Amino acid sequence: MSDFSHSLTASASALRAQAARLRHVSENISNADTPGYRRKTVPFETVQQDGKAMVQAGRVQLDRRDLQRVHDPSHPMADESGHYLGSNVDLMIEIADAREAQRSYEANLKMFDQTRKMSSSLMELLRK
Amino acid sequence: MFYDLNVFKTAHAMATHAGQRQAVIARNMANADTPGYQPRDIEAFKSAFEMTGPQTQMMATRQGHLNGGGQAGHSWAEFAADPSGDPNGNGVSLEEEMLKAVDVKRQHDRALAIYKSSMNILRTSLGRG
Repeated sequence: MSDFSHSLTASASALRAQAARLRHVSENISNADTPGYRRKTVPFETVQQDGKAMVQAGRVQLDRRDLQRVHDPSHPMADESGHYLGSNVDLMIEIADAREAQRSYEANLKMFDQTRKMSSSLMELLRK
Repeated sequence: MFYDLNVFKTAHAMATHAGQRQAVIARNMANADTPGYQPRDIEAFKSAFEMTGPQTQMMATRQGHLNGGGQAGHSWAEFAADPSGDPNGNGVSLEEEMLKAVDVKRQHDRALAIYKSSMNILRTSLGRG
């Protein structure tokens, strides 16, 4: 029985971690046009809690890549050459990341559901 | 059959094995995007069962457990499964884990079905069918 609760805990923590990742992806996408915005990423790490292995989204990290220089002389933040610093968000990367997060989320959800089914079919033995 | 209910013990061992493997697979799946994580697995029920023979019984696998023979205590041995390398050092393949999960579900269902039908036979023989 404790095996089931272990796997439920692991799956649930993974669902939370993937949801956090997806949240940061959507923050990145919505700030794609914010000048000076650096894209945020979260690293995943394994933690042990009460002997249960769980996944956790760690501290938010900022992408250190150079900001994109955008040419727009009419922009209030433009320098003498007519450029200003945009964000370093690459929409293609964000969307690919979102896809991967979704895929992992679904896989973990399926695992959660299967564990629940196994446990309830075990309970079913007690009836009758 | 009525003196030594081996079929129940076997079914119990099989269901326990499925439960534990499910926990390992869920952990692998949860860490599918954790850098540096390597997948783990436990040995197949068949090979583990062949080693212990039909005398499968409850084992004390943790200190808090009552009864059960302690020393022989195999909570089925865990080992590192075949990794499929990702660039970030993660070895989990979601597809493979999915396949194993289906395997586990079938094994668990099978064990429960065996348990249930043996129970039915017992009930019938007692005239309460």
